[in-house]
Order: sequence, then C-alpha cells, then structure tokens
Amino acid sequence: MIRHIVRKEFTDLLRDGRFRWCAAIVGVLLLVSLGSGLVETRRAEAAHTAARETARDHWESQGEKNPHSAAHYGIYAFKPRLPLSFLDQGVDPYTGTSVWLEAHRQNDFLMRPAQDATAGQRLGALTAAQVLQYLVPLLIILLAFGALAGEREQGTLRQLLATGISRRDLALGKALGVAGALALLLIPAAIVGSAAITLGSPGPAATPFARGTVLAAGYLAYFAVFVALSLAVSAWVRSARTALVALLGVWVLNGLVAPRVAVDLSKWLHPTPSAVEFARTMEREVRSGVPGIERPDRGETTARLLAEHGAETVDDLPVNVIGVYLQESEEFANQIFDRNYGDLWNRFERQGVVHEALSVAAPLLAVRTLSMGLAGTDVEQHRHFATAAEQYRRDLMRRMNGDLAENSRTGETYIATEDTWAEVPPFQYDAPSLGWVLQNRTLSLGMLGLWLVGAFLVAGSLVRRAEVA
Amino acid sequence: MSTQAVLETPATGEAPPIPVRSAEFEDPVLEARSLVKRYGDLEAVAGLDLSIQPGEVYCLLGPNGAGKTTTIHLFLGFIEPDAGRVRVSGFDVARNALDARRRLAYVPEQVMLYRNLSGLENLQYFAALGGRETLSSERLTDILVDVGLPLPAVGRRVAEYSKGMRQKVGIAIAVAKDAEALLLDEPTSGLDPKASREFSELIETLRGRGVAVLMATHDLFRAKESGTRIGIMRHGRLVTELSTDEIGHADLERIYLDHMQE
Repeated sequence: MIRHIVRKEFTDLLRDGRFRWCAAIVGVLLLVSLGSGLVETRRAEAAHTAARETARDHWESQGEKNPHSAAHYGIYAFKPRLPLSFLDQGVDPYTGTSVWLEAHRQNDFLMRPAQDATAGQRLGALTAAQVLQYLVPLLIILLAFGALAGEREQGTLRQLLATGISRRDLALGKALGVAGALALLLIPAAIVGSAAITLGSPGPAATPFARGTVLAAGYLAYFAVFVALSLAVSAWVRSARTALVALLGVWVLNGLVAPRVAVDLSKWLHPTPSAVEFARTMEREVRSGVPGIERPDRGETTARLLAEHGAETVDDLPVNVIGVYLQESEEFANQIFDRNYGDLWNRFERQGVVHEALSVAAPLLAVRTLSMGLAGTDVEQHRHFATAAEQYRRDLMRRMNGDLAENSRTGETYIATEDTWAEVPPFQYDAPSLGWVLQNRTLSLGMLGLWLVGAFLVAGSLVRRAEVA
Repeated sequence: MSTQAVLETPATGEAPPIPVRSAEFEDPVLEARSLVKRYGDLEAVAGLDLSIQPGEVYCLLGPNGAGKTTTIHLFLGFIEPDAGRVRVSGFDVARNALDARRRLAYVPEQVMLYRNLSGLENLQYFAALGGRETLSSERLTDILVDVGLPLPAVGRRVAEYSKGMRQKVGIAIAVAKDAEALLLDEPTSGLDPKASREFSELIETLRGRGVAVLMATHDLFRAKESGTRIGIMRHGRLVTELSTDEIGHADLERIYLDHMQE
C-alpha cells in the first residue's frame, strides 16, 4: 500500500516543474559548495604544508646562535585540515589555523579569513554545511507543505481515505516520497563527498569515513525532523497556503532567529573579555604576578642553585643560572597563561553548553554543532589543537633553556650549533578520535534525537486527527 | 469490451483480510440508526434511520443543506456522529472506519484528481490503494473507456481534462474497486446527457451484482430512472420514502415540491 503512495508522490514531484527548478538550484548549490569547499581545503592544506616545510627549514637553518635567541626566533604550528573540513569550515575562519610559537608568549592564532573578509564576502562564502542546514530544509518545506493540507484543499484527501487507507500509511507514504525526491539530490552529493574524502589526506586518528557516516546520519535525522514537522503542520492547518506560511515561520525561527538568540544569550550568561582586554590582563599579570603565582627572582634562583650545589660563586655551578632562571620564568608565565586561557576556554565551554541546550528550541543548533564537531572545525577541536601547540611550545622552550643551562656556564657567551635545532622534533598533531568528538557532542546528539522522536510523535498525533474536508 | 462485460468479469486481485464482523450484522449493507450530526446549533442530520440492502439503489433527494452530503460523510467516517450509529456491511464505522471504507466506493460531486498524472495513472493509483493493485493496465483502460472516457484521453495528463472527464475517472475508480456498497454524491454533476444515461446503465448493472447504492442527487429524473427507493430529506430529516416502482416522474416531482414548500 505504502509503496504505491511513495511511487505516486515521487512521480508527481518529478513531473512538477516547481520541484525540478528548486531541486536543480539546491542541487547545483550543493555540488558547487562541495566542490569549492574541497578546492579551498586542498589549497589551504597545500599552503599549510608549504609553509610548515618553509618554517621548519628556517628553524633548522637559522644558523649558530644562543638557544634563547632561537626560542625567540620561534616556529609556526599549523592546524591540519581534516578531510571533512571541506564540508563545514566551522569556527576556523574566526579562530585561525596557525600559531607562532615563541619564548615567553602564548600567541593568538593567525590566518583568520573572517578577520580580513568584508561582510559581503562572509555571506557569499556558501559552504555545503550551510546548504544542508538551511536550503535543504527549505526544499523539504516546499515539497511537503501541501502533503495533507493541499490534498484536503483540492478534495483528493477524501477520495484517498475513501479507498480504505489509513492516515498513518498515507502520511508515511508521503514522507517516503519526499525522501525519494531528496535522494535524487543527496545521493550525487554523497558520492561527491565520499570521493572528496577518499582524495583527502586524513591524519592517523581522523577516521574520515566513520566521521562521515555519523555526519550523514545526523543530517538525515535533521531532514527527517523537517519532513515530520512539515507533515504535522500540513495535517494541522486547513489550507496549503497557511501551512506554507507557518512552515516558513518555523524555518526563519530555526535558521535565522534561534542562532542569533543562542549566541547573544550564551555571551550574556557567560561573558568573555575582549581580545584587547584579555591581552592587557595577561601582560599585567606576567609583568607583576598574581597572588599565589609569584614572578621568579634571579637573585633567589642564584642563591638556591648555590645552596643546592654547595657552591660559593656562580662560576662553581655546573649549570648556567640564566638558563635555569629563563625556564623558571617560562613556567611562571605558563601558570599565568593557564590561569587566563583556562578561564577563557571554560567560558567558551559554558557558552557552548548554553548554545547546545538551546537546540531544544531549534534543531539547527544541534546539527550545526554536531557538523562542526565531526568536520573537526568546532571550538573544542580548536582548543585540542591549541593545547597541543602550546604543549609543543613549552617542550621547545624547556629544551632550549635546558640546552643553555646544561651546556654553558653563567656569564659565558654560548652559541649552539645548527644540530641543536635539527634535534628538535617537528610538531606532530593527531586529531582527536571519533569517540572523543561524540563524547563532546552528547548534548547535540541527544537534542537531535529528541527532535526526531518528538517531531514524529507530533506528526503522528496530528495526522491521526487531520480533518478530511 | 462493453460496460456490461467489464462489470461482469470479477476484478482480480487479493482482497484485504476480512475481520470478524459484528454479531448484529444481518442483511443491510448500509445502515444508519437514529443518526444525529450537529454543527453548533444547526442539526445537519436529525435522527436519520436508513437501511439499504444489497442490490438496492437508494436515492436521497433534497435541497442544498438538507443533510445529504453529511449523511454520506458519516457513512465514510469522515465525521463523527453526535448520536446514533452507522454501519457498513456490519462494521460500525465509528470503531472500524478502515474496514468499513474498504467495502465502500465513493464518487463525490466534484472528482478531484492528480493533475500531473494521466487518467489511467490516477485510476491505477486509486485502484491499488483500494486493494485492486493486480488489475492490469489493459483492464483499467477498458473500465475508463466503458465509463465514457475517450481512448485517446486515457494516457493524457488530467490537467487537460474537463470536469465531465474527471467525473468519469471518478466513476471508473468506484467501478474498479468492486465494492459492496457505492456512495454517490451528485455523481452526474458535469456529465452530458449521454454520459448520464450511460451512468444510469452502469448503476443498473452494479445493482444486478448486488451492490448497495446510496446516491445523493438533485436530479429527480435520474433518481427515478436509477433508484429503487427514494428518500426526501429536509432539515436533516427523512420526510418521506418512496418506491420508484409505485410512482411516475410527475408524481415524484409533485411530491418533492410539496415537501419543499411545507
């Protein structure tokens, strides 16, 4: 029974010129955004690779110098693009994808396209994620708003029900018919996406196909929510026009209002300092210290080392006091960084929780967070990379200061050879596992599941009670 | 193949399983008892009692708003009665609407079809939903032609059809279902005289096969020609019942107008 309804709906839609035009536009946008995302990701990855090699080459060929000078010379770390990042750029354009690692400072990230882009450029940069999150639901609404309201209005609903089919079977058949029409768009897009993943260069822990499968399931659940909502509204209201207006209202609330409200509310509940304010606070604290985190004193360091080694003068010490003091200064600054960045990240995390929790009012918020997480472009994975880069910086500084402390004496002009730089292992970053990502996105997954179950329950209830005429 | 031939060949296809019927089921295929339907203060159907046996064609006559269409919708289970009950082949419509509808065929006053599908595709769809999915395209084409649809129109999209052509497809849908009961709501609306005459012949054939027919109409002539019994409704009540064997066309018109003037 249901298959007849599915086949009829599918045929009816394919013969409908409005569907063909809408589907063609969305399909082209989807394929273009996938293609441009892939090209952009590969271009950025190639640029990163070249820059990483150049930076490493500069590091290794910086010549003979004092290790502390080398620490100030620094090196760049680049966040690798995960294979799925071509689908969803997430926060990368705002947070940046590279950072300069140098002595005494935990620098801001660089390469933030959004910073340099005009408002028009930002809006014009359509990603596949935006097509999937905004345009496909719009297409679903256009396909399904008349599912029951239109049949009722045209008078075909009473003839259909008079055949003896149940409202449930009719609604299910219509939902599957819409799904079949959508498949015409989404299957080619999935093939292009899979090819792009295959052509990508995943890191060892990136698990692109597993991530892609979960991402596809998430988007399918999101689309199913819109199919169910469209059927529910179509069963509820009397005319197809009212159904369309109501569903467009839902689309606006979901896609335009809720994200803005979520951002503003999460910022209001958990405010973060401005970049200037944040930098000034850290600069002040690094300069003066804070209660409990005291700035090291070179005289005290010297006295302690003399006592530890039973030496009378610094000339008798087996280590260079300057190297030890510089490392203690690094560790002091690290505590200040941890204190400030820790607080900042925690605020971001709490904002993220508010954002995800608000997806109870708009499924877009849940699927968007999940999409960014699986593409590897969310705040948590930015933090994961930033933490790894900062750890590398601290190891690098420890190594440079250790070289200075152990291989020279206080007051001596020490010059390390180029071999010292080559011995420093390059920065290696492994993206977090799928399990790690999903653990972070439990709330979004739960909310999406809640929407799916809720939308189908509401649709079932309204379809059962739908008036015939 | 003629209308007669098409209708005398049993429709193939597996019928849906027949659930246990009410123990009170006796002979009537269509039965209404003390049926009441109100819309606010308006009593659209006011204590209607109706019983239609197999092979009987019952014509409901009455002015607009008399309650004819509401009665048909109550038999279809599209609306719930405020009092009384409706049964189709022994199935209480309020409890077993789906089982009841599976035994009914329905032709509304204005048959509405899917504009992007052809007449044949529309018939295939409705026939399949009515449990006649195994009927071949040839067989369905024969049915369409025999209810008066020109053969060249069978494969054309319904968007190009006139109201009369759509009505013929609606009748074909009812015929293809091979139901125990037929509910007709002004079925000849939009049909030309020739097609109306063919429709009367079709009803006669269905009656011969034991189908119970309830037809709401304004057409006194068609009611006399096709019906075996006539009920005149006014303000939701059945004001009189007549046997078509016992009255002529002129008598029917006089009785009808008398009741409308009361």
